[in-house]
This record gives sequence, C-alpha cells and structure tokens, in this order.
Amino acid sequence: MRLGLVLPPGGEADLAGRAEAHGLFGALVGGPEPGQEMIAAAYAAATTEALRVVVRVPLHSEQPVTLAEELAVLDNVAGGRLVVLADTGELSAGRAGQDLAALRELWSGRPVQPPGAAAPVMLTPAPAQVEIPVWLDGPAAPELSASSGLPPLALRPADVRPHGLVRPARAALSGDLDADRALASTWRAAGATHLLLELPPGREPDAVLTLVSRHLAPEVGMVGFPRVISESAAPLPWPQTS
Amino acid sequence: MRLGVGLWCLQSTAHRPRPHVRAYRELRDDARLIERLGFDGIWLSEHHFFYDGYCPALLPAAASALAVTSRLRVGTGMLLLPLQDPRRVATCAADLARRSGGRFDLGVGLGYREAEFAGKGLSLRERLPRLLRGLEVLEPAGVPVWMGGATVRSAARAGARGHPILLSGALPTAKVLDLARAHRAAWEAARRPGPAPVVGALRNVWVTDDPAEREAVLDWVRASYVLYAGLGWAVAAEGEHRKMDFQRDAGAAIADAVATTVVGSADRVVEALEELAEGGVGYVACRLMLEGAPRAAIHAVLHRLANGVLPRLRDAVAA
Repeated sequence: MRLGLVLPPGGEADLAGRAEAHGLFGALVGGPEPGQEMIAAAYAAATTEALRVVVRVPLHSEQPVTLAEELAVLDNVAGGRLVVLADTGELSAGRAGQDLAALRELWSGRPVQPPGAAAPVMLTPAPAQVEIPVWLDGPAAPELSASSGLPPLALRPADVRPHGLVRPARAALSGDLDADRALASTWRAAGATHLLLELPPGREPDAVLTLVSRHLAPEVGMVGFPRVISESAAPLPWPQTS
Repeated sequence: MRLGVGLWCLQSTAHRPRPHVRAYRELRDDARLIERLGFDGIWLSEHHFFYDGYCPALLPAAASALAVTSRLRVGTGMLLLPLQDPRRVATCAADLARRSGGRFDLGVGLGYREAEFAGKGLSLRERLPRLLRGLEVLEPAGVPVWMGGATVRSAARAGARGHPILLSGALPTAKVLDLARAHRAAWEAARRPGPAPVVGALRNVWVTDDPAEREAVLDWVRASYVLYAGLGWAVAAEGEHRKMDFQRDAGAAIADAVATTVVGSADRVVEALEELAEGGVGYVACRLMLEGAPRAAIHAVLHRLANGVLPRLRDAVAA
C-alpha cells in the first residue's frame, strides 16, 4: 500500500515539497471554492518532480470543456503526474457520469462534440499521460463506480472495493505512533492500495511526516517488515562545519 | 517605465515542435531567469482548440510560474473572459494574488475566433456583453484587471473603467500613441479618483548589432504573425490607420506587423521605448517568443535587454 498526504488549502507548495521529500506517492489538493483546486494543483505540481498530484475537482463547477482544458494543462505542468478525484457533489450518478464521460472524451485526442457545443472540437494540448487516472468521490461515487468501473475513494475500511487494481482511500492520522500503525495496518488489511492521510491538527508537519516515512510506509510497504530498522537510531547527519 | 516580456503561449508548432511537458517546464525555467535578470513581469496568452496546443488555461499556467518565483509579476495577456464563468475567474485570481503576494496581473480580452466560442456552446456575438458582465463581477471583487486592446474603442473602454491596458504588439507606434491618448482621455472624462491607470504595450523589440541576426529576427517576427493568419485575427481600420486583416490579406497585415519591429543596438531600442514613454506608455512587454527563435537566442536577448536597456529605462517616466 502506498501512502500519500492530504494538503490543507493554502500551503500546497511547501507541504507538497515536504511530502515528496518524505517519499510519499502523492498529495491530494482541493479548494474551498470552485477553481481554487486548479491553482492548488498547479502550485503542488510546479514545486515537485515525482509526487502524484491528486486534484479533487467538483464536477459541473465549470463547463466540461473548460475543466478538461485546465486539467490537461495541469497534467502537462505536472509532467504526467496528475490524478483526478472527481467529486460528484450534488449531482446524480447519471449526470455526474455524463460530465465525466465528456471530460474523458475530450482528453482522448478525438474530435468530439461536447454537451451544448455548436461544433466538434479537439482539445489541445492533450494530456501528457495516455489516460489521466480518475478516482471518484462524493455521494454518487459508489453508484457511478458501479456503472463506470472507476475506483471510488473509500472513507471507511469496509468501503474499499473488493475488486480492481487501484483501491484508493483516505484517513486521518492521530500523530500517535501506535494508533497510526494500527490505522495503516487496518487499511492494508482492507485491501486499500493508495491511502491519503490527513495531518493531525496542531502538530508540526515534519514530525508527523517523519512518523509516516520512517514507521508507517515501511510497515505497509512489505509483508513482515522488521521493526528493528525503523526503531533503531537514525544515522548521524553530515557534520558540516562551515 | 517598467519592462516585461511576452508572450509565452506554450505551443508546439509545425516549425518548432516540442513535447508540451517540456513547454511548461521551460515556462518555469524562463520565469526564474527573467526574475533573476530584473524584469518586471512575464505575460502568457490564450487560444483554444489550435493544433499547436496554444495554452487554453492561463490560470493554472500562471500559477505554475508564480509558484517558482518570488518577485516576478505574472500576467495573462489576455484571458478570454467571455469564455469563462467570471465568478470562478475572480475566485482564482484572488487566490493567486493571495498566494503570490500580489504578483498576479489578470488581463482580460474579448476573443475573436468563432470556433473557440462555438466549442464552448457560445456565439461570437455574445462576446462583448459577456465581457462587460464579467467585468461587473471582477471589479467589485477587488481583483486588479488589465484589459487588452487594439482599437480606440477598446482603449477608451479600459480608460473609462479605470483599468490599465496592454496594447497589441502588431500596432504601429503612431497607433499605440493614439490609443494611449484615447485611454487617458476616457479616464480623465470619467473623473475617477487616484492615479491614471498605466498604458502598456506589447512591442516587437530585439537587441542585436549583428546584421545576420537582425535579418533572422525580422523573419522570426514574420513567422510569428503567420500564426495570426491561421487564427484569423484582424484589427479594424481607424482614422489614418488601415485595417490589418491577417485572414483575408495576410501578406499586407504581416508586412505591417513586421514593420513595427525595433531591432538594433541597445541605444536604438532605448530610443524607441523612450518615444513610447513620452507618449504616455508606462509599461512595455517585449514580444520575444517568436516563431523560429531558438531558446538560446531568446535567452541571449533577455540578457542583452537586462544589461543594456533595463537600467536605462528605470528613469523614463510616462508623460
């Protein structure tokens, strides 16, 4: 299971870089208002080089062509590291499915006639990836997942889908080593493949990220991790004198 | 006078292909260099559904440049406001301003390609009312807005509303000065409080003493305006200034645009920019991203402008 970080709005450039420095697979960005998620994702993408940027996009917050263009540009800014977490919001599964289908058609590189458009268009630039990964969130996510085959973001271990190679999830860290070890272990046992972790409020991020990279990531990164490695003293830093 | 550079369009063209991932990485690298050299800002430009991937989403592109710089201003020249939800644009612009310490310049324009409107389910005929309605959303939101323009009407509209303007790079100097006057006159007639909004101009300028490079630069300017023949741009005739129709009479329009180019010594460029300052232009964005110009040439001219022109323009004050 791979571990990532949920970035609180506003500090994406700083925290995305720290998440990358701690070896996490990705970071989830969003925004309180529609559109801000694109800005947050651009900051996270521009200041990292390997981190997957998972952007939570409220479907229907702009017309699909504009959303598709912005996400294609973001995928290029990110060098092909974008993952879209499509939030169904208040939409029915059917309506969300239409919007999502329009986005994915536009990314395909084929001429398509989007809903409401008077003429077919080809979206340029195309995304950097062959296909932008799409995960689902929101009330209609389970139903939309069943019809589209796209993975929903699980918020409880019992909601991890029993099939599919990608089974993303989200959980909150406490900052307590034993409790967070149990949390990570529970999610791995539930079958999650990508766990996005919220930082506990009021804790210094680097201390929690060190807990994640030193203790949690190794434990969920192999079967039977020997704890002697993470519990031994950290190697001394380079003693730079000038 | 303040000096910026433009227009970064993030294209992969028929004559200068590149992966778009590289185009966006080069934008970040160029923004860092331009900041280090002391320029005031960098301007990006928008089109949609064009073969070369001309950037269709300026807000995330601008955000990526702002994220890797700390002093440089980043502007949209121009974001096509009629094609977007202005409340969402206002939210994003305010967010960018907050994150960047106020370094984002939101420039908005009308757009002119029928295909771009049709592709978003809109009619070109709606562009002006949609622009005006969009401004009514942006203005109370406290978002500083630049407007684009190439005509007296657009310059007067910006001046009357109290917005700075960035004039098109294809216009001859005499027309730039006419539009600067129209902008100022409309601002004065509106009797708005505070200082007059700045008049900016995109200009084709290049510092070189090498005759072979001069010849190449003029051809790069020519090639860069062939793009507008493909896009179908036109500037209406006004007063003594004839129409520039890049679609129906591309040869004449391109020749007129190339004729605006100031290419020569640093002294020659400073002289041309001082003439603009005397005519009321307070900001020039040097149009350097020319079709065919190798990146090394663009970096070389950035250094020449920074060393030979920038320090001498700081004291030039727009009349």
